[in-house]
Amino acid sequence: MGAFQGSIAGALSSRARRLRRLGRRALLALPLLFVAGLLFVPLGQMFLWSVWERAGFWVRPGFTLAWYRTFVTGARLTVLERSLVVAAGVTVLGLLLAYPIAYFLARHVRREFSRAILLLFTVPFLVNYIIRTFSWVYLLSRTGPINRALVALGITDRAVDWLLFSDFAVCLGLLSSYMPFMIYPLWAALEGIEQPVIEASWLLGAPPPRTFFSVTLPLSMPGVFAAVTFGFVGSFGEGAVPIILGGVGYQLMGNTITSALDVLNYPLAAAMSSVVVMAMLLFLVAWYLAFDLRAVLGKIAHWRF
Amino acid sequence: MRVRRTSRAATWGYVGLALLFLYMPLLPPLGFSVTARPGDGLTLRWYRELGSNPLLVGGIENSLLVALVVGLVTPPLALLAAMAVRELGVPRLVVLVVLLPLFIPGVSLGLATAVFFRALDITPSVWTIAAVHALWALPFAFLVILAVMATFDPVYLEAAYVQGANRWRAFVDVELPMIRHGITGAGIFAVILSFNETVRTALVQGALNTVQTYIWATFLQVGLSPTLHALMSLLIVLTLALVSVLLIVTSRGAAR
Amino acid sequence: MRDEAVQASRREFLGQVALGSAAALLGSGAVLHRSLAEAAKGAVTLADVGVGDPGGDWSRFSAPSDWDVKLVAIGNAPSAVLNVLMAGGGTQIYDIVNIVGGMQKPLVDSNLIVPIDTERLSNWSKDTYIRDYLAPGKPGFDFIGYQNKVYGVPTVLQGDSFAYLPDKTGPLDSYGAMFDPKWKGFVALEDNFTTTGQKTALYLQKAKLASIKDPANMTPAEIKTVTDFLIEKKKAGQFRVVWSSFEQAVNLLVSQEVYVMDAWEPMVFAAKKKGVNAVYAQPKEGYLLWAMAAYIVRNPKRSKEQEQATYQLLNFMLDGWYGAKISLLRGYMTNPAAIAYAKANAKDFSAAEAQEVVAINQNVEQKFRLGGTWQNRWPTHVETYESEWARFKAA
Repeated sequence: MGAFQGSIAGALSSRARRLRRLGRRALLALPLLFVAGLLFVPLGQMFLWSVWERAGFWVRPGFTLAWYRTFVTGARLTVLERSLVVAAGVTVLGLLLAYPIAYFLARHVRREFSRAILLLFTVPFLVNYIIRTFSWVYLLSRTGPINRALVALGITDRAVDWLLFSDFAVCLGLLSSYMPFMIYPLWAALEGIEQPVIEASWLLGAPPPRTFFSVTLPLSMPGVFAAVTFGFVGSFGEGAVPIILGGVGYQLMGNTITSALDVLNYPLAAAMSSVVVMAMLLFLVAWYLAFDLRAVLGKIAHWRF
Repeated sequence: MRVRRTSRAATWGYVGLALLFLYMPLLPPLGFSVTARPGDGLTLRWYRELGSNPLLVGGIENSLLVALVVGLVTPPLALLAAMAVRELGVPRLVVLVVLLPLFIPGVSLGLATAVFFRALDITPSVWTIAAVHALWALPFAFLVILAVMATFDPVYLEAAYVQGANRWRAFVDVELPMIRHGITGAGIFAVILSFNETVRTALVQGALNTVQTYIWATFLQVGLSPTLHALMSLLIVLTLALVSVLLIVTSRGAAR
Repeated sequence: MRDEAVQASRREFLGQVALGSAAALLGSGAVLHRSLAEAAKGAVTLADVGVGDPGGDWSRFSAPSDWDVKLVAIGNAPSAVLNVLMAGGGTQIYDIVNIVGGMQKPLVDSNLIVPIDTERLSNWSKDTYIRDYLAPGKPGFDFIGYQNKVYGVPTVLQGDSFAYLPDKTGPLDSYGAMFDPKWKGFVALEDNFTTTGQKTALYLQKAKLASIKDPANMTPAEIKTVTDFLIEKKKAGQFRVVWSSFEQAVNLLVSQEVYVMDAWEPMVFAAKKKGVNAVYAQPKEGYLLWAMAAYIVRNPKRSKEQEQATYQLLNFMLDGWYGAKISLLRGYMTNPAAIAYAKANAKDFSAAEAQEVVAINQNVEQKFRLGGTWQNRWPTHVETYESEWARFKAA
């Protein structure tokens, strides 16, 4: 690779080459500048506010860990625990449900047809999530169609209470919100695995299950990374599903932060948000440590440009 | 072969069940959009009234405009970011930076961005809304394109270099067609996310409303009007029609 | 194969461009027609939580004054309102913000609103409701005033209690019904620590289950007692859900998911329209009274003409046509002029509608006569309210 690149590059002067490379790097850095420009100052401000003191209803520079203490020692910590558990649970469940669909569409269905099916999976999302969530309330309520069907079919003798305003309802709502987001990247990653690779594994004597776990699954890791990120982060920060479908006082982190803002406690809200950001960063770092770059980049991970 | 066929049928059944699960919440709005008082029969009244609420009409215009901008701007940005992961030499850092908007709770992001815009004296407008939506959609688009690019074998690039192509031509002629569907997918994700974005928008919209912030404000205080159900049902019907058209066009193209 | 791929990609690209251009034309066309319509002197921007919209028709105001009204829908939570004013640039954009009153302290202390010069509102002195219930010295004054100055124009007045389904529960007349084990699992509360806390405190005080000096403004110890009571009930399974939006609450009644619900009266009206027999209770502990307040947002850069137009709009909101329209749309009492206007203007309001306006006003006036406590939306120890409520929710 080096020799050919060198011969092409040698045709240009070294100065032009440097400028070109700089220009290309600047272009590639554009999205980073976009995110950094819009986000770094607000993020820094949020971290700062979490240790500042209150002055009336606004904030005043200072340093205090009181807000973190309030959060960690108070009733709100249970909300963080619940958010982590629910997000993890929904992600794992969503992955188990979405992977077979993605696998089937990627490997056993014609390309155009599977793309159409995938589009069908995304169409419901044009409907506003609040309306979709209320639809679930209607469907799952004591007098709603599902309960009526259960009673009519004789499966239960009275309406099932735990269908709605429960952990079950929240998980259902979260799954129906994020599972389709998980299907697409899994499909994309699985679709790109060339058949000869699978066949080579068979030829080498690995039965299909073993092939799946040692060849297909690792090769689809970039898709799994995307799916897990969407599912986990989406569920963790979800604000509407918990308060519409959840039981008495069911809330996730987004709700309790809003509640603190309702009394204009900006530092407490900032402290809670900072904890959420740090938790997410930890999740990312854990992923980095557990998997090497191939799990994110695929084959091009060790390619040198 | 018999086993193959039944297992194939079973899997199609599973896919069908999943689709049914996702489409079930679309049925109640459809029902509500054609009924008025119970026992009165069907009516198209709510569809007729769609145009009469200036707040909603303004919201629809704003939402469409923002979705268009976000759908066009986010995929190229995400593509550049994905290429940056490969080429800038600090892949883990790039991934972390681009994923940052995902990690910040929505209401905090909206609040902090709003304060930031005000400090820079930027008046809220369709562009501030679009910027926040693009910021939120970028990590999603990025991860999708990354997942698609990960399936791309660099050996094709090498083949292109051998043929004498420079970096740009190799990318455009060889890699881009293969990851094209990832870019469309990223665009679709961006539009969907924009169509559902409420909390971050509420603080940067100024004197405007999007359909989502309008729905959010009304459902809190005065309840959803059936015209909103009519709007959503219309959206679904139109999109499904569009998807069918696309399906016919592409299948005819592939057959040729 | 590569040519075909290129062909296909070009076709797809063209398709996307066509779609995009169509959408862009639509968008630009919309912007164009909007700018053509703006031939007025300017626009007054009204940020409203949903109650202040008279069906989109502001022509009665725009025609005589030659000022448009730009309505913006905002969320009704204190955080949404305060954040949009403080952080979202609302002070430069909004002229009036129409929300549930009682929010003067945080708004004034954060320099977000200005006092209202009631002399500039010709309808102010004509509004007997203001004189009777919200004048300085009356308990209702705290809903529109602060430190002896008037800050809000009361566009809507109402008294809250709770709703129930008499076919399931029989007649109920006390907030205690919400905590009655007979209706275990069929009760819903509002997710609002001031109103729910106040109703619970009123019940506990009147039933002598706790010693609470002032249910409208509790001490931290009293708040803790109330919360302990609520947690005990929650653990016993008394509540089905705590609702946080109008839509959720009205669904609970219409689908008869709960029998007793801490509610707002329009939910009962909506349920009745859907054929459900729901009743808004008349509790012996008294109603919780409140008013919507339209505040003027502080903007030193606002021009004199804009300020004049703002006052004109506020005056319009105290006028008969607006009051009658809002009463019919929402079921709330607005101002006394609404009754006379609805009766006298048959082409705007049919006889049946005029009758409905009368009925609504009589209904609410009766509540004020029967007496009650004014809601306190920003109690002295509001943060203890919130943290105790968080404890209730987490229990």
